[in-house]
This record gives sequence, C-alpha cells and structure tokens, in this order.
Amino acid sequence: MRDKNKQDPRLPDETFEPYEEPRRIPMPVYWIAIALAIWGVTMLVHVSYSTKIADKERAALNDQAIAANTPVKSEPTPEAGKALFADNCASCHGDAGEGVADAIPPLHASDVAKAGGATAITHIVMRGIGGPLIVDKADYDGEMPSFASVLDDKDIAAIANFVASDLNGLKSTVSPAQVAEIRTASADLDPWDGGSGLAGLINGLPAQPASETAAAPSPDAAATAALATHGTNEIWSCASCHGDKGEGTQTIPRLAGLAPAYLAKQLHDFKEGTRVNDSMDYVVKSLSDTQIIELANYYGAMSSPSGARPSLKGDLARGEKIALEGDWSKNVPACFTCHGPSGIGVGDKFPGLAAQQPAYIAHQLAMWQGGSRHNSPLGLMAGIGKSLSDADRRAVADYLASLPPAAANAKLALAVSATTKEAENGQ
Amino acid sequence: MNRYLPLAILSLAILSFATLLLVIIPGMQIDKSGVSPGLKPYTVAQARGRAVYVSLGCLYCHSQQPRDEAQAPDGERGWGRASVAGDYAYDTPHQLGTMRTGPDLMNIGDRMPSQGWQLTHLYQPRAISSWSIMPAYPYLFAHKDKADPGDVVVKLPPAYAPKTGVIVAKQDALDLVTYLQGMKHDYAPPAEGLRDDGYALMAAQQHNNDAAKASK
Repeated sequence: MRDKNKQDPRLPDETFEPYEEPRRIPMPVYWIAIALAIWGVTMLVHVSYSTKIADKERAALNDQAIAANTPVKSEPTPEAGKALFADNCASCHGDAGEGVADAIPPLHASDVAKAGGATAITHIVMRGIGGPLIVDKADYDGEMPSFASVLDDKDIAAIANFVASDLNGLKSTVSPAQVAEIRTASADLDPWDGGSGLAGLINGLPAQPASETAAAPSPDAAATAALATHGTNEIWSCASCHGDKGEGTQTIPRLAGLAPAYLAKQLHDFKEGTRVNDSMDYVVKSLSDTQIIELANYYGAMSSPSGARPSLKGDLARGEKIALEGDWSKNVPACFTCHGPSGIGVGDKFPGLAAQQPAYIAHQLAMWQGGSRHNSPLGLMAGIGKSLSDADRRAVADYLASLPPAAANAKLALAVSATTKEAENGQ
Repeated sequence: MNRYLPLAILSLAILSFATLLLVIIPGMQIDKSGVSPGLKPYTVAQARGRAVYVSLGCLYCHSQQPRDEAQAPDGERGWGRASVAGDYAYDTPHQLGTMRTGPDLMNIGDRMPSQGWQLTHLYQPRAISSWSIMPAYPYLFAHKDKADPGDVVVKLPPAYAPKTGVIVAKQDALDLVTYLQGMKHDYAPPAEGLRDDGYALMAAQQHNNDAAKASK
C-alpha cells in the first residue's frame, strides 16, 4: 500500500501552486510610462491655452456688444459722422458727397438736403427712396435702400448731422432720441416714392417730377400673393420657408428685392435640373411658366428690412476686403465688381448679395467649390468658390449680412408674354 | 488571486475616481452654468411634441449639438451656432445624440420653419428627397374622405397622394412639428456658458496662417 501511495517522481506534483519569482520591471516600460505622463501634462497645458484664447475672444465680443447697446447720452461727434459716411454712403454718393452724374444725387451743397436739413436726411436714411427725383435741377431715377436695419440711432444721427453741417453748412441737427422717434414712426413703411413723396416732408422742396403711376396691378396679383403665402394642395407656400417678408433664414435665401429675371432663371434651372435643391425641385414641378414670372415679380418688387446678421464668426474686416478689393493672391476678384456697389445686384445675371443670409452665402460658395451648384454664366463662380478657404467664405458671408438690403426696383419686372399664357391655356 | 481585500479596495478606488471626474465634477459645473438667457421653457404643445420625439427614437439618427466653426462646418450648413450647456436646461432627458445619420436638429426651427414641409417630410421623406433613408411615419397621419374643419391637410405630390380623399395630420404629428419649429437657439450664447473650447487654439493658429499667407 505504501508503495502505491508514493507518487511517481516523473509526474508533476498535484498540490503544486504555480507562482512567479519577483522580477524587475523592464526599463522600456518605465520609459514609456514617463513619456506618456509628460505627453499628458503637455497636452493639458496646451489645451488650457485654447480655453484662454476662447475666453479672450468672448470677452472682446462681449465688450463690443456692451459698447453697441449702451445708450450714448452725448451728442455724436462730427468725426464719427465722417467715418460712418465713408463706410456707408461714400460707395455711391462719393467721398465728398459729390454724387455721380445722371445716376446718384449729390449730397454736397444739394438743394434738397438744404431745404430738408438733418431731419429729412434721417427720414430718407431710415426708409430709403426710389423713383424720379430732381436735385440741383438734374434728374435722377434710382433706388436707395433703407439703412434702418443696419445702423443704430446714434449712427444715423451722426451721419445726418455730418451731411447737414459739414456737406451743406446747415445748423440743423438731430439727436439720437429724435432718430429713435423717426424709427418708430417709419417702421414697416415703404421707401419714399421719389421726389414727389418727399413733398409732405420738406417745406420749400424744389420742384419735383410727378410720381410714376404704378403699373396696373396684374389681374393675377391676388392669385400670386395667395400662392406665395398659402401654397396649393400640392406645394407649401413660399413664405412658410422664405419668411413673410422674403427675408430668408439660415440656408434659405432672402428673395425680397432680387432681380425678377434672376429669380425666374433660378426657378427654371430648378425645373430643368441645372440647379439642384430637393425642396425647390419639389415646388417648381407644379409651377407653370406664368406662375414663375408672377412669383419672380412678386418677390422682385418686395422691399423688406434685412433679416440677416453676421452669425458665422467670420472676420468682417477680411470679408470687407474680399468684397471691395478681392484677393489677387488667390485670383479672387472683388464681389462688388460684378454684383454692384454694396452688393445691390446688377442686371439679370448678378444677384444682389447685400443682406443675404450668411449661412446661405457660405453654403452656396461651398457648393460652387464642390461643383454641386454649376449654373453661373461662364462658370465664373466655380473658380471663385475654389479659391476661397472656409474662413474666407464665412468672412465674406458675414460681411454681406451686415449690409443694408438693396431696394426693390419695380422697373425690372418681367412681362408675362402672351405666348406663354396661350401655350398654357391650350394645354 | 488570494489578496481579495487590496484588489477590491483598488478597483473601488479607480471606479470612484472615474465617477468623480466624469460625473460629479461635470454635474457641479453644469449646475453652476444654469439656464441660457434667451432660452424659453417648452410650451405645452412643444413638450408633448418632445415626448413624441423621444418615443420615436429620433436621437438614434439625429444629434442636437452643433459644433464650433473650428471643428466642423455646421454654421455653413445652417445648423446654427455651437451649443452651450445652458441650452439644454429644460431637456430631461437630453436628446444630444451621437449619430449624425441625419442632420443635426438643434436649430431645425430656424433652418426649416415651414409646417407644411415638415408634415410632408414626416409622412413620406421620399416625396421630397428621393435618396432619403429616413423612415416614413404614416401612422402619425390619418386618411380621410374629406378634411373636417380644423384639420391640417398634408400637401403631397400626385405620386404620393391617395387616389381619393386627403391625408390629415394627427395630434402627435402636429405636436412633433410644433416642437421642431420651436427648436431655435438663435440667441447669443452666454459668455460664461459651459462649452468645448478645445478647438479655439487650432482656429487661432489657422487664422494666423491665413493672415500670413494673405499678407505675402
């Protein structure tokens, strides 16, 4: 029995517990651990700079907002007026308010400004003006946008006082409080109807041409308005996305005041598939050619305040430079070379850009770049889109959003041709 | 494996350290940041719509957290500014989401304010975008011979409209759209708001590089 219990020495001991002798940790493991610790601490310090930078940026923005919202008790200084004039008025009226022959009325020693004084100037800046106007015995027939949505009371007072005193040698002034009253009174009013519209505003106004009789409203005007505000059984209303005043939002564009020929071309492009947007493709399918023209005229004739504010954290100074001068190091021409001074739009091919939604502009520029939008004449925009970086797109979009909206120009309205109608009725 | 006590103590210590750093301290920070000024509480209809949003599991495909310019082009997509903690003050549970199978919806009310569009899109996303992979939600709608007064009729193209009668939205669909229309965080974010600033340094460096290139 004893021999049987004795374990065979060749077999492993069944009661054996495996164990490891303590051994030194290899040196490379220490090195890796130390390197990781150093890397971690460096990253933490590095990222804490990031927070500091962001805090600084926010503090700067906050200071700007506080400065902009603090009511200024003191009267605006003439220097401020001069600078604001150069930023907002000089691009059309000239640096010294000399105007442009046959196109833009002068503000320097102008008989209308002299008769009206600072108050009348404030009224015109607030509402804009369009139609026949006689200044210094010369005829003008242009459109000036309303600046109400981009300039605050203090700025408008500074500009009006600068034009009245420095350019016309008048003593009349307005205070920011008076400007605020005029702003309240002019809310939702259309631009002044040319020289004749000013008759009630300015005593001793030089003789003015009669206002152009508005074109007889199209018999379909009510139907078009209903289409734009209520849609049909198949399609949503235009206003449900583009806003009651056609001001747009985010990537939905502002339509108010764009040239009807441009709007009609875009709708046709959606129909033909040369411009692509799912929601618009859906809508244009059930629009007739006549309805397209009527809607283009409806939005082309609409004057509405800007619904756009810079919101993409773009660099406004950089955006202004691209818009006014372009960036030839990147082969980018100035936006305003084609799209008109202050981005008011030129003709059928170059839409107004002023007061356009920043997300829409940046998004479209990215689409030109990527090639998913490709309906510009001569492929001009594709080249520009490719040259602009992401930060440039945001900069220029934010700058354009800070501009006053272009005034609607009723003269650009498209005629509904008889043949279009007949063709549709025959269908 | 016979030193249970030190093992148990060590694992509990690691767990409580992680809980402290990942749950307790962030929770205290969020409590301090409070409600974003400008954020309005949900209306009754919006709150009902939010419950529909939660029950349909929208967050499995849609996030509610737009990112900063330096991180992603969400602003250019029209998705709105980067959100801060205070923007979610009335959301319990929050619907942040991590998947972006569909677009971010934090500012859908700003980007697509149309009730008609939202209803058509919920009834049949393919009616608008043929390539869309979003499920249709026909059970939020009813097929009627004739719309009763007060009914909201869904606008549909002929290919998707019923042969007779109309499609009207049920209360759930209307509430959901009211909630979506109210998703508008377009007020300025509070300067002190709790947010991810990790990309500001990168953005500043990028900005400096661009400026250096432009000045050349």
